Amino acid sequence: MARYGMALDYKNCINCKACEVACKEENGVELGAEKHRIWVGGNDPKGEWPLLDIASAAFLPSQCQQCEDAPCQEVCPTHATYYDENHVVRVDSEKCILCSYCMNACPYDARYVDDRTMTVDKCTFCSDTRLARGETTTACQNTCPTKVRTFGDLDDPNSEISELLRTREHFSLKAHLGTNPKLFYLT
Amino acid sequence: MKKIEVSRRKFLQGSVSLCVYASSAMAMPLATTKTSKKNAEDVPYLCNMCRNKCAGFARVEENIITKLNPNHYFPKSRNMLCPKGNAAIQAVYDKDRLKYPLIRMGKRGDGRYRRVTWDEAYEYIKDKLVKIIDEEKDNRSTVAYCNGEGFNKDEYIKFFGSKLGSANFLDEGSICLNTKLGATQLTIGDVGEMDVAGSDYMIISGANRYESLITPDSVDMLHAKQKLVVLDPRCTMTAIKADEYLPVNPGTDLAFCLSMIYIAIKDELYDKAYVKTYFKDFDKLKKHILSKKYTAKWAESKTHIPAERIKRITKEFFAASHPLYYLGRRSVWSQNDFQFRRAMVLINALAGSINRKGGIIFGKPFHLHEEEINEPLYSNTVDRFDLDGIVYGSQKGGSWLNFREKIVTNTSPYPVKAMFIRKHNLMQNMPNIEKTKKMLNMMDLVVVLDTMPSDTAVMADVILPECTFLEREDMVVSFNRLEPSLALRNQAIKPMYESKSMQDILKGLGKKLSVPLFKVSAKHDADLQESIKNYGKEKAFTEGGYNMTELYKYDITTRNKKLITAQFGKKVYDSLKKRGVWHPYIDTQKEIFNNYYEYYPKEKRHYTVERNYKVHCYLKKLEKHGFDPIPAWNDHYDFKVPKEAFRVITGRYVTTTQSATANNEMLKDFQEENYLWINNDVADSLGIKLGDSVAVMSSVSSIVIKAYPTNKIAPQVLWLSHGFGIHAREMTHAFGKGASDNMILEDKFEKIYGCATMHETNVTIRKL
Repeated sequence: MARYGMALDYKNCINCKACEVACKEENGVELGAEKHRIWVGGNDPKGEWPLLDIASAAFLPSQCQQCEDAPCQEVCPTHATYYDENHVVRVDSEKCILCSYCMNACPYDARYVDDRTMTVDKCTFCSDTRLARGETTTACQNTCPTKVRTFGDLDDPNSEISELLRTREHFSLKAHLGTNPKLFYLT
Repeated sequence: MKKIEVSRRKFLQGSVSLCVYASSAMAMPLATTKTSKKNAEDVPYLCNMCRNKCAGFARVEENIITKLNPNHYFPKSRNMLCPKGNAAIQAVYDKDRLKYPLIRMGKRGDGRYRRVTWDEAYEYIKDKLVKIIDEEKDNRSTVAYCNGEGFNKDEYIKFFGSKLGSANFLDEGSICLNTKLGATQLTIGDVGEMDVAGSDYMIISGANRYESLITPDSVDMLHAKQKLVVLDPRCTMTAIKADEYLPVNPGTDLAFCLSMIYIAIKDELYDKAYVKTYFKDFDKLKKHILSKKYTAKWAESKTHIPAERIKRITKEFFAASHPLYYLGRRSVWSQNDFQFRRAMVLINALAGSINRKGGIIFGKPFHLHEEEINEPLYSNTVDRFDLDGIVYGSQKGGSWLNFREKIVTNTSPYPVKAMFIRKHNLMQNMPNIEKTKKMLNMMDLVVVLDTMPSDTAVMADVILPECTFLEREDMVVSFNRLEPSLALRNQAIKPMYESKSMQDILKGLGKKLSVPLFKVSAKHDADLQESIKNYGKEKAFTEGGYNMTELYKYDITTRNKKLITAQFGKKVYDSLKKRGVWHPYIDTQKEIFNNYYEYYPKEKRHYTVERNYKVHCYLKKLEKHGFDPIPAWNDHYDFKVPKEAFRVITGRYVTTTQSATANNEMLKDFQEENYLWINNDVADSLGIKLGDSVAVMSSVSSIVIKAYPTNKIAPQVLWLSHGFGIHAREMTHAFGKGASDNMILEDKFEKIYGCATMHETNVTIRKL
């Protein structure tokens, strides 16, 4: 039993795609831009050449925010979306009827349709692959060249992520919606 | 808080620089497989997706590689795999791979081949080679051979250089970083290693460390407490992540460096004690630099970087306690490249940043014992000719452009009639592709060893399918100087189809060639005839070293075991087999934060070693050949771009390694084709919008490519990534996607190292 979360030192993100490839290979995610479980949003520096404001460019790794109060779980008519024992928002492909309510409800655009399993799928923190084997890292966290991601148990006061959240300022995406994400962006 | 776009949909619509395009995902076969819940075998290996080499563990489930994970034991790669490293699975399971030995049926380049057995392929090569070498009266240099892959290069040279006896070996150095290696070696007597992590102030000229990842540098840069200043004619990811970005006029970094040296000497900012002890001919340097008046104002006129910034940065640099001017490894840009690289070394030396923390360090690499072999002496073999007219040049890897020029103009002192090409995509890797084609068409025999049906492979008479790096064990390699380690590539799965490791290919070839080629020598070589007369045929053959399979008496696993155990003991060998890596602190290394380890304790790192060396300010040999013995600016370095023309510069995306990853299905998913970067205001005035097709014309040829208007590039500069525009239809994912830079680049080369200058082509463009 754990309450898994992830802290992202997003200013170190260089948008190299290592996490995206690792995720696809680990979780057997289909190819194609619409099938990403994780992605990096960003914007170019503002200004005109040669006066560019490099500080205005930023890259933000994004994925399912693993909300404590997930709108996708709330709207699911078949209870396909559920919380597992580690508080990870999961999808039961047996129950999913592709109604796409969850896709519309998710404020983070985190869901996509997996054409193979006919499921509206999303990031699972590698729960049915790595974590199921007893490993303690997600594929994206493990491979990140610049060590942006810290994954761990929020309920364990001694975990690295708990320590980080105690000592570093951080924010959540669209916090005003009250979804209480378990992804934290370190400032 | 900064507002950053987070929406997935908007991101997909809005961005080409990030280039995620919905590809035809519909009917695609399964390219990815979910890993199972079961425990599986984790085989330690070394990545080969680029020249860098990171360590990983391959997860193997029932003989199938399902995932690659970083190896936390390797000090060099700092427990990471990049996108290409993660996508290496696709290189193994690429359906377009070369699967069987092939012999050409159609014309060169049209891709018609017949499948043959390995023996038929060897037999074909033997018949041709015997004829060619006999025609050339045993001048073995008529067989040129080349290699573009770092691993096994020396072993490949042992076969074709030492055993077969050719002097004509060519590698990627002359289309890559030879000027940098040469400049460092000639100035401080060693190529050294840069201690990025230990530097508190770092300047990078052009090297794009966040898109062209090199470990540990790319990892360390973001975590070192340092100021990072980046000069680049293009606002790269490295520029964006810098503390200060200096947009620079292409090819003028030398002027920036000369000005730094001028200011440092004039204002006496340099490390006087260091200069006194280590510099040779400092007086000459001082006199030269001061008399040339390389002021910041002067540098501004060349570089377009404001003089005040040059002054301030120079002052900051020399005031820092561990400043480092980062010597990037990258292709050569312009005629002044060698002098530019040398000026960077001199700046580091003036700051005292040599052989100390945060500088260019010498360190203490592990020296592995050589496996000795007996080399025949071929008295009729003539030396290489591609360094004629080159001041230094690499005696090992030569000069590609000079070599090719002499072949296609029939000015080589003897004909080169055969080429063995291993993992070196000649048809894509050097400027002016038509000339390369012409060269290959002049050969009587072209043999390609590769994993993919590249543009070069389809020019071959015989194609020998090599297995990928995950299907083979390689000889142990020593890495790094500050925190040295040994690393071993273990075999994750058996070679697929009928592919073989390079060693097995050469062993088969050697078996077939040794005796017939010995007979050719016996016919023409007077010394050998004498030796046969004195000792008999058999002894002359064996003791003369004519058995080409000598190195392959034992398989690679046995060779590794013997070599490593003899030099380092069983414990080290076991570590290399089990963990893929060995370093002295492997059992005590500790994780200091999130996936980031401390390998060598700080006090055990080889920051400073005892070494007698000098910093050579003045290179007499250069003066003798009519070049500047001390870095200087020459008028002909001023590159003119006519009105309405553009200067083309190249580079690559984070998801590509030259043309080697062109067909990788996963990486294609991120970057299907390359785009032409063009200044947004210029594009506006020409009516060019994102995704518009644009024709780009140079004196060599023309290409068509889609446009990417951006504020991240100067008005008279265009950028495109290398590694696209593949011509071989056999590369089904890559064929027809994007355009090739080398189609339009002019084939100029500088004369100090014979390196291709990639950034000296003007083009015009037209919207289609």
